[in-house]
Amino acid sequence: MNYSMVKSLILKDWYFQRHAILLALAGGVLSLGIVALGGQPGFTLGLILLVTVMVMLSAMSVMGNTIGERENQTLAFSMSLPISYLEYTTSKILGNLLIFVPYWIAIVAGCLGLIVAAPAIRGLFACTVIMAVEILISTCLMIAVALVTESKSWTIAAMVTGNVALNVVGYLVAHIPSIGNAMWGKAIQWTPAATILVTAEFALIALLLGGTFFIQSRKKDFI
Amino acid sequence: MNDLAVQFDGVSKRYTHFSLESIHLELPTGSIMGFIGANGAGKSTTIRILMGLVHQDAGTVRVLGHTMPADQAAAKLDIGFVSEDMRLYGQATLAWHMEFLKPIYPRWDQSYAESLAKRFDLKPQQKIKGLSHGQRVKAALLLALARRPRLLVLDEPTTGLDPVARVEVLGELMAALADEERTILFSSHNTLDVEQISDQITFIDRGRIIDSDDKEAFLDRWRRLRLVLPPDVVVPRLPGVVEVGGSGRLPVLTTNRFEPAMVSACNDLGATVQAVDTMTLEEIFVANVHSRRERLTA
Repeated sequence: MNYSMVKSLILKDWYFQRHAILLALAGGVLSLGIVALGGQPGFTLGLILLVTVMVMLSAMSVMGNTIGERENQTLAFSMSLPISYLEYTTSKILGNLLIFVPYWIAIVAGCLGLIVAAPAIRGLFACTVIMAVEILISTCLMIAVALVTESKSWTIAAMVTGNVALNVVGYLVAHIPSIGNAMWGKAIQWTPAATILVTAEFALIALLLGGTFFIQSRKKDFI
Repeated sequence: MNDLAVQFDGVSKRYTHFSLESIHLELPTGSIMGFIGANGAGKSTTIRILMGLVHQDAGTVRVLGHTMPADQAAAKLDIGFVSEDMRLYGQATLAWHMEFLKPIYPRWDQSYAESLAKRFDLKPQQKIKGLSHGQRVKAALLLALARRPRLLVLDEPTTGLDPVARVEVLGELMAALADEERTILFSSHNTLDVEQISDQITFIDRGRIIDSDDKEAFLDRWRRLRLVLPPDVVVPRLPGVVEVGGSGRLPVLTTNRFEPAMVSACNDLGATVQAVDTMTLEEIFVANVHSRRERLTA
């Protein structure tokens, strides 16, 4: 693996997404500010804004860096560089994740910090962690579909699927007694069910990314 | 030492509606090969296989001593590639592209890049999306040449260029040929462009290489013989005749194995040779394609 080339490609993608990253950071700070205003309405509105900004960042990053390369016919330029397709795939997965994950960690950490600081909503801690990882799954799904299909339509379908899944998972999580019953309490309750769910979510992320590498390594036509 | 820059041996690639069949192609180091074919003939597929962007179903490909597609990363370090459907990043400037490529290619020549920018009348600080098509092609060519590649692969680079831009691009390619170690593969359906710069010619049609030779050999061995036949004389059977045109008593024979002895052979058979015409590369290409297609349908 030529790590120096992978790094060059990642830095290139960051350069082209710098405006989206800055916009998302501003949106994230604004959302956290609304959450910090306190109370149920502020928390709900802030959370919706946070999710929207995170989805926007992942969509802009994947659409711009991955689908955009094919649509704008710059893929031939990238692939004419001294790289293999596996190195290209690595750069795209890492590039997209390194744009999204630091932001995701900062926002989730900020959000959890506010929950811990506000006794009235501490019961939402476990649910917030589970839903935050679910958003990460949606991003990984979008990256995987974009790389494997190289199709804008399929990537949009993956984005819609991820968003629908977010609502479905949210509903189901709220109806798991050990998590749902604690949601509106004033204490943090981390249950075995939450551990199982978060583990399953990270396993799904590993499966999505591993599957993407596997499929990409078997591809024969790249342009 | 292997003196072949590119070597295709029995390469095949199948798609639903098109297949590349048993491609054998050899490009000696330092040569300039014109790769001519109609649209959809298989030029771009062949070049993509050469670049490792498409994997062949069968056969072996070696480029600059590397096996493709396995060693494509190492091979591409010494290849400059410009393709008609390749675009640079629109939101970035030419200067950004140069800075991006500089650390990747050890032989990157910044002063050459800057002199090319002046010669091509390109402003490095201008964004690519603000350039005309001709300027974009020149920018891509600049980025390929400044790498100082051992192999330059150009897939229809002059397509869509206005005559002035075409002359400028071809002129710079001619200058690049001064380096005798540099090998160039130049694909086009424009035979005039290819004829100007190539010393070897390969024709491809419907996924098969139909002929490959030195340019001069092509021009020497292809001729049109204009005959006059007396009433009781039939068209003489001559070696290498690929096409018989003209009218009944005034046939025109196109041969790909012309020798001066053919004229006396025609006279011996009772025909009068009115003229022996040389052919342009375009005429040779068209005759070659037609004769092959006729053979296939016969």
